[in-house]
Amino acid sequence: MITVDDKQMEWHQGMTIKELLDELEHVQFCAVVRLNGKLVSSPAFETTRIPDSAVIYLLPLIAGG
Amino acid sequence: MADFTLSDFTLKEIKTLKYVRPEIEKGYTDHSLHINLSSREIEIKPIDKMVKDKFIGGKGYDLWFMWNAVTGKTKWNDPENAICIASGPLGGTPGYPGGGKSIVTTISPLTGIPIDSNVGGYFGPYAKFSGFDVLELTGKSDTEMVVLIDGIDSKIKIYEVSGLTDDSYELSMKLTDYFDKDKPVNISVVSTGSAAKNTELGCLNFTWFDAKRKRVRYKQAGRGGIGTVFAHKNIKAVVARWGSVSMKNNNPADPEAMKAVTKLHAGEINTLDPKQNRMALVGTTHLVPIMNDHDCLPVNNFRYGNHPESHNIGEAVYEHIFDKGFDGCWRGCAVACAHGVKDFVPFTGPYKGQKVFVDGPEYETVAGCGSNLGIFDPFFILEMNFYCDTYGLDTISIGTGIAFVMECFEMGLITTKHTGGMDLSFGNRLNSLELLHQMARGEGFGMIVGKGIRNMKAIFARDFGADASIMQDIGMESKGLEFSEYMTKESLAQQGGYGMALKGPQHDEAWLIFLDMVHNFMPTFENKAEALHWFPMFRTWFGLCGLCKLPWNDIVPEDNRQNPEPAKVMKHVGWYADFFSSVTGRKVSPDDLIPMSEAVYNFQRLFNLKMGYGKREHDSLPYRSVGPVTMDEYNSRMERYDKDLTENYKVDITGMEVAEKVAILRKHREARYETLKDAVYKRRGWTGNGIPTLETVKRLGIDFPDVIELLKLNGVV
Repeated sequence: MITVDDKQMEWHQGMTIKELLDELEHVQFCAVVRLNGKLVSSPAFETTRIPDSAVIYLLPLIAGG
Repeated sequence: MADFTLSDFTLKEIKTLKYVRPEIEKGYTDHSLHINLSSREIEIKPIDKMVKDKFIGGKGYDLWFMWNAVTGKTKWNDPENAICIASGPLGGTPGYPGGGKSIVTTISPLTGIPIDSNVGGYFGPYAKFSGFDVLELTGKSDTEMVVLIDGIDSKIKIYEVSGLTDDSYELSMKLTDYFDKDKPVNISVVSTGSAAKNTELGCLNFTWFDAKRKRVRYKQAGRGGIGTVFAHKNIKAVVARWGSVSMKNNNPADPEAMKAVTKLHAGEINTLDPKQNRMALVGTTHLVPIMNDHDCLPVNNFRYGNHPESHNIGEAVYEHIFDKGFDGCWRGCAVACAHGVKDFVPFTGPYKGQKVFVDGPEYETVAGCGSNLGIFDPFFILEMNFYCDTYGLDTISIGTGIAFVMECFEMGLITTKHTGGMDLSFGNRLNSLELLHQMARGEGFGMIVGKGIRNMKAIFARDFGADASIMQDIGMESKGLEFSEYMTKESLAQQGGYGMALKGPQHDEAWLIFLDMVHNFMPTFENKAEALHWFPMFRTWFGLCGLCKLPWNDIVPEDNRQNPEPAKVMKHVGWYADFFSSVTGRKVSPDDLIPMSEAVYNFQRLFNLKMGYGKREHDSLPYRSVGPVTMDEYNSRMERYDKDLTENYKVDITGMEVAEKVAILRKHREARYETLKDAVYKRRGWTGNGIPTLETVKRLGIDFPDVIELLKLNGVV
């Protein structure tokens, strides 16, 4: 299992951030997530694998300084 | 009258006005304070209801008083140029996130038009609680002055000062100690530093007293050389003194409603910031890796958008360097993003080898004084940050300005013959710092750098024989103001956000890069124009009310992404409408906020016109912000640019040399920006030349006789 925005979700071996987002609704503006506290940006979504028990937060639309 | 001499400085009281403090009613004192430094006159005037209704407060008030203080021929260093500082009707609400800002305006030495800067620290709220919605400083003193607005004793005092250091940190600490030794939290000092006198890049430092760390802390009104005007007027400091702060200070129309919305917004930030941007821990340094990953972090004078060493200067590093503790630049602010570093030891300059406290860095300083100089050393950035603050310099113009110098140096446009022997290649840390020290001392090549990019381009061409056209392309300024620190080559909307920003290329009007470039949310010119209407208007509203914009859209509700336009964060816009209604008693809905700003926004555009600018030609951009200037830049992102040429512009690039592709792409991209201007001007109700139409000024109720006359003079009837 993994935790995404405080909700439990199923996890599978090799799961990527892109695959996770594909399962979620209303994520078209998600460009960055926090994976176990570390920032991961959209260019790396396809290649970043999620470990089991990961805690993930989807960051809000990036709004600049 | 009395003289006070401490060990190393003397304050001589030369003017005192005892006044009856205007009570605050629904967020307003309805009074302004005017101080003429030449004549030493102090005047308190009631503020007309028309001004209150149309200009709201904050930046609106500043611009109205400045409009009446200057003529179209006024230069930044003329005595009639005013520095105005205002909070706003909502400013000074403790606990409301971002609820304590001051907005500062003046005619900028860099641009010749009004500059505005939104700054934290306690000054604006303290000045308002002392009785004044806006402070206007005009004239020029022949001796150095300190002005005290003492709301506790209901006195305004002007002092001649001698022997007081120029070093902004030390000066602020001494004056805080002097004016309220027992309760330093009662004091907020506005000052600049030694380099503000010698350059056109001077900033103002606004203090608040950090009770836990028992020290003065800073935020900066950085942009456009306001500190330079301040120094030129011979103002050493303006000090506000005020006592107790509570939710009653603003005497809100509906205290319970105000408390309720404050609790909602603060509660949400307390819950969600730790899960989202973690600004209470890392400030805005989280943006460094994000911008780098999306090719938007300026590297080597905006040539490139990322660098493999950028991880050295992002949140992962600064989180461990920042001193832990509460860092709100206003009382009870839940965002609390104003971090600092204790016991930093500079390796150059007058503080070499001594432990100092550094306020910052924020994202802009990291990118401007780090990656944009090709330097990825977090401690070097701290030192640049520290000396910019100490000397009263804007870290953004410094970063972008030195980056330009470095590219000129690497291109051979300037050499060691011109720089006093300094190698100014990208990455040169020691010589970057030496430029700052030269600015503080008023000597050397630093004096030229301190004139800003627009002046440097002229000097390098005239005196050094440098190629003017290439400098025009790579000198990242528009309207005379240096760009803030975002790469815009792949976002037409953000090119507009910078190029059509009223004061020059600062991102506080519109930050649309991700919506446009990453999410392709605004594919048409009309979509972009709509965004370049709504976002600048709403962002302007924060400056009218005395608020910070970060709590609006940097921490957002968990269900925000289900909104069809999540970038607007409409739930928060609703809270802001409730906040405004509860304090002022003027019932407003979210839809009412944009028209409030629109009047002030258009008035500022007209102010530019009054000063001889404010037309289409003045919204131009250096090509570096639009596309690749050099073949090297093109080659570094060849796939992207080739795709743009073939797919978007239907150009057959088979067998084409890179130089030709650069030229063709440029032609298309520059034309595209002009088309965007047309769309934006139309949406804003402006003529094709970028001037508000008669119909627009009438609709907004800013059709004052001198506005109509100004329009007529410019062919708008």
